[in-house]
Amino acid sequence: MMKVSSLMASSLELFVNNVRTLSTQGNFRELCDIINKSTTTLARNGPHLDNVLETLDLQQHSLGILAVLCVKLSLPNANGANNPDAYKPLLNQVQDFIVGCNGEQVRFAPDTYTELCHLLSQLLIDLQMPLRGVDLLRRAIRKIQLFDSQLTSIHADLCQLCLLSKCFKPALEFLDTDITGISQEGGYFDAKYFLLYYYYGGMIYTALKNYNRALYFFEVCITTPAMSVSHIMLEAYKKYMLVSLILHGKIVTIPKHASQIVNRFIKPLSQGYHDIATAYSTNSCAQVNTVMTKHQELFVRDHNWGLVKQVLRYLYKKNIQRLTKTFLTLSLTDVASRAQLPGPTEAEQYILNMIEDGEIFATINQKDGMVVFHDDPEKYNSPEMLARLEKEMEACTELDKRVLEMEEEVLLAPQYVRKVCCHVDQDEPLTGPVHTNVTNTQGQSKHSTYSM
Amino acid sequence: MPLPIHAEVFQQNAMEPMQVDAPTEDNDNTEEEPYIVENPTLDLEVYANSYTGLAKLYRLIYIADHCPTLRLEALKMAITYVMTTYNTGIYQTLHKKLQEAIGTPGLPDIAAQSTSQDIPAIDHMWLESKSKKAALKLEKFDTDLKNYKSNSIKESIRRGHDDLGDHYLDCGDLSNALKCYSRARDYCTSGKHVVNMCLNVIKVSVYLQNWSHVISYVTKAENTPDFSEVHGKDNNQAVITKLKIAAGLAELTTMKYKMAARHFLQASLDHCDCPELLSPGNVALYGGLCALATFERNELQKQVIFSSSFKLFLELEPQLRDIIFQFYNSKYASCLKLLDEIKDNILLDMYIAPHVNSLYTQIRNRALIQYFSPYLSADMRRMATAFNRTVSALENELMQLILEGQIQARIDSHNKILYAKDVDQRSTTFEKSISVGKEYQRRTRMLILRAAMLKHRIHVKGQARDTTQGGELSVAPGNSSIVSRN
Repeated sequence: MMKVSSLMASSLELFVNNVRTLSTQGNFRELCDIINKSTTTLARNGPHLDNVLETLDLQQHSLGILAVLCVKLSLPNANGANNPDAYKPLLNQVQDFIVGCNGEQVRFAPDTYTELCHLLSQLLIDLQMPLRGVDLLRRAIRKIQLFDSQLTSIHADLCQLCLLSKCFKPALEFLDTDITGISQEGGYFDAKYFLLYYYYGGMIYTALKNYNRALYFFEVCITTPAMSVSHIMLEAYKKYMLVSLILHGKIVTIPKHASQIVNRFIKPLSQGYHDIATAYSTNSCAQVNTVMTKHQELFVRDHNWGLVKQVLRYLYKKNIQRLTKTFLTLSLTDVASRAQLPGPTEAEQYILNMIEDGEIFATINQKDGMVVFHDDPEKYNSPEMLARLEKEMEACTELDKRVLEMEEEVLLAPQYVRKVCCHVDQDEPLTGPVHTNVTNTQGQSKHSTYSM
Repeated sequence: MPLPIHAEVFQQNAMEPMQVDAPTEDNDNTEEEPYIVENPTLDLEVYANSYTGLAKLYRLIYIADHCPTLRLEALKMAITYVMTTYNTGIYQTLHKKLQEAIGTPGLPDIAAQSTSQDIPAIDHMWLESKSKKAALKLEKFDTDLKNYKSNSIKESIRRGHDDLGDHYLDCGDLSNALKCYSRARDYCTSGKHVVNMCLNVIKVSVYLQNWSHVISYVTKAENTPDFSEVHGKDNNQAVITKLKIAAGLAELTTMKYKMAARHFLQASLDHCDCPELLSPGNVALYGGLCALATFERNELQKQVIFSSSFKLFLELEPQLRDIIFQFYNSKYASCLKLLDEIKDNILLDMYIAPHVNSLYTQIRNRALIQYFSPYLSADMRRMATAFNRTVSALENELMQLILEGQIQARIDSHNKILYAKDVDQRSTTFEKSISVGKEYQRRTRMLILRAAMLKHRIHVKGQARDTTQGGELSVAPGNSSIVSRN
């Protein structure tokens, strides 16, 4: 280590010494400050960083290692880009770090930690090996989270890697947990990662055909407060419309608390999708098809072509479902003509699939080609149903409790109390509305006035 | 007044053999295209006699436009009538139409020969003298009005405006007439005058087909402070009837059939004297059809069949009365047949013609719903005969009604039987509560998330220039973006 020029050596040595002494003292806050100031020094001494790592202990000096690795990831690789082998040692180092680092310590520098993960996932994407990072990021998130339902900006990276590697399961464990808190990363949380998480999450659910959840994710994305048009929101809005068509057969109205931007700028930017919706509302597959062909280029460019095709498929299904509401028996030929399918064979195929998926209840009599539609056989009298109902009710009470807690939190916050006391003289009824506001979504924006 | 109806009944019988041609289901989609009525059973003279003024002219022109067999007669009648007014504009258009009608090659030869002598030629002398007289009259009214104004006697000024308006109306200059009538408003000194002014404006607005204007002036008249006191009891009834009829007409033309029916039902026959708007027969027809199309069974019974005042109206249109009674007695086949019979004549009525198809469809749907209401299952073949349709057409009709939720039933297409749907209340309740619970969970989750979002000031904030995905996005740095909210 001492073979290099003394100036360089001394600055690195100083860094190592600082890390060591401050870590032993447990003075992590000061250490963070020093580390932040020495990033340029580290970057200048790129070739010797491995030596630095050797002198540090994974558990005891996690913050120091984190800083060094972060710098290493941001430096261009000397052995030529896009060669996976050249990055192997570095990736191993990062992996070892994420697995073995001291969670308590790295929480003092969450911004550097998440930066490390962003850099890592970007690198893996560049190297076209996204699968490599999926498990790693999963661990990384668990390490930094304070509680399970806390959102970190690493969530977005994990979803992106899962999407790219077409391996969705690892992300589901996070996506299925509803977010109740957001981690503070270096003072603020980047809205980009927030939007990306919900956008990618929506895409993952769409890919898994969990359209209900997908719609929820896209809705969160497009109702994020906004002052200007974000491309992530625009894309989410397009997908929101398509998923909404698949799920509800129409475009669900956007909640009132969505930003004005959505109506004013994003809507006009997605005309082709509105055309689809208008065609869809006529229940005519031919019309939807015409619009699809007309805007095919647009949909392909937006990478939504597959989803648009799903929309058409669901229109066929919806038309068949409408038939079940009006008919008890119907011949396959009639089904085909009424649902605008090409022929009885296609109709049979659709009906078979739908029966299997539990979307309709019917039997096909192949002898005379009749379809007999049944009512939903669920009679709501089985123990399973009771268990399900109880579970649902429990979930509802749980949520209700949570809201009450939040309300209490707000009521006890000193800022809120001060605000209300000042207002009382001028404006008596203000306390009333605020109470109720906390329990409904629309009131939430008002609520924030007091919680800030 | 009841004359036209007898004539119609008489003619109806005479028409019987031609019924084969009567369009039944084929012209359901002719609503906006210009249609042609082939077999009207209208006595034009009686029909025309129940109207005066522009109403008469407009109606005759409408008939001439839509019924080739009556075209010549209608035009001649209109020309004769227009000679008694100062309306030179319409006189000229009428003559133009007449020339075209004669020139039409498709016209029956007999008609051309028999009428060739008595076709009135355009009378240029009359035109000139009338325009001169009109100009003179206008000048006189104008100077009168100026004099009144210089003397500033409110009552005289008001009368002056009214006279001028009347004259403009006589000449067919509707927009100026409307202007004059509205100007009189500033000089109204009593409630009576205000109501009078409103009636004038309503009249002109009806001619102009400005229906929102009609409605607003009807309310204006009804809200005049001493509306109910100023007039004698009888006179007051007449005014109310006039207002109701105008309002009904306006609602009818704007497709609000139920409101229209309500208005027409409040008219009283003894005071129904407004040939410049509608004839009592029209009131019966419009009110009856609208009520049939939109009223529930008990409403129909209470407000139409047992209504002492409207009963008198229905006597004027015995066919319509029969239709309503048949409908109420659930004899749908004969009811629908009668409806088809009168369709041709209704199509010649300028106000209701555009709505005939939608009204008929609604009546039909209502009949289907009522027909099925007492049954658990019904044979669609018999139903089809009762409604004069093929089974497959009926199936489509029923499907539409079921999808709209108007009939709670399902079709057994194999055996052609319609089954009433037995709704399991328990299951539906469960289903509903589960979905409500789901919705609650979803919304509460979103609420909690949103609270976290606001707490952490997640906010998309723009930069000066939008470039790429990454560049365009930026984040509120710390507090600055949230300050405006506090």
